[in-house]
Amino acid sequence: MRILIVDDYATMLRILRNLLKQLGFENVDDAPDGHAAAQMVAQQKYDLIISDWNMEPMTGYELLRHVRADPENAHVPFIMITAESATENVIAAKRAGVNNYIIKPFTTEILFAKMQAVFEKQMAS
Amino acid sequence: MVQIAEKQTGELDLTDLSDSDDERIPLKDVIALAEKVTAALKPLVRSLDRSMHQELREILQAIEGLRTELSRVDANDIFAKRIPEMGRELGAIVKATEVATDTIMNVAEQVLAADRSDPEKYAAEVEQHMMAIFEACSFQDLTGQRVTKIIHTMEVIEERIEVLCKMIENNNIAPQTSGEPTAQEKRNREKLVSGPAHDGEGVSQSDIDAMF
Repeated sequence: MRILIVDDYATMLRILRNLLKQLGFENVDDAPDGHAAAQMVAQQKYDLIISDWNMEPMTGYELLRHVRADPENAHVPFIMITAESATENVIAAKRAGVNNYIIKPFTTEILFAKMQAVFEKQMAS
Repeated sequence: MVQIAEKQTGELDLTDLSDSDDERIPLKDVIALAEKVTAALKPLVRSLDRSMHQELREILQAIEGLRTELSRVDANDIFAKRIPEMGRELGAIVKATEVATDTIMNVAEQVLAADRSDPEKYAAEVEQHMMAIFEACSFQDLTGQRVTKIIHTMEVIEERIEVLCKMIENNNIAPQTSGEPTAQEKRNREKLVSGPAHDGEGVSQSDIDAMF
């Protein structure tokens, strides 16, 4: 399984990489913003994208819409991990097709539970 | 030729001049008339002079008052010293937290990767790494002190802005800013970016879970 993690904080990328490693996911790529992630998605197939929201020049929300608009990647599970906890953000992300939404700070258990829920739903459909 | 008469009181008598059919007036009479008019206007000019002087004095006092108040604001001190200093403190906080996080994560990675086949050696190694974590956590003391300095500076700036606000109130000056959002604020609104919420604000993880 190949996972793409997107965050403009190198520390958060490192935390995510370590947490995913502990959960048994070793095949992880990272990108520092939505724009770089979009370029990587165009070149590489991913089984899951985990992205922050607040990034320059392309936000995680814009990346989500970009991915969903691309027929090749429209089905790729997308989890948003962000400090943006306004209701309008969650609703906008849900409408854009996000599969799950995690509020920072988060725990390994929450990350694992959301990943599991996303994969189970995908397998069921 | 008409001679302008002068009353005993010293006032000009223009009766002869207006009654006469002769349109020629000698220069000395014109000069005399001008002198008399000037003399008659002197008290008025003096009173105008006094009132203008008074007005100017009041304007000067108001300017002096504003200068004194503005010197209390000391904008130069705020922009040349205090705000750059706050920027430096914040930069130092970011750097300190980055270094500490890096150290702690390095240690955590080393612990996770450590060889566990020899329990005694493993325990000693973990203990050593834990000490490194304690050391790294000392950053909190320094960042706390830096935050305290920033809070103090903010209080000074707040105090001076209060002086400015009072000056504006006292002088009935309408604010020039319209309260319109800045370009960055507009952009953040468009992109739904508002940053981390404070405790009790925003939706909780359990609320979000219910939505999914």
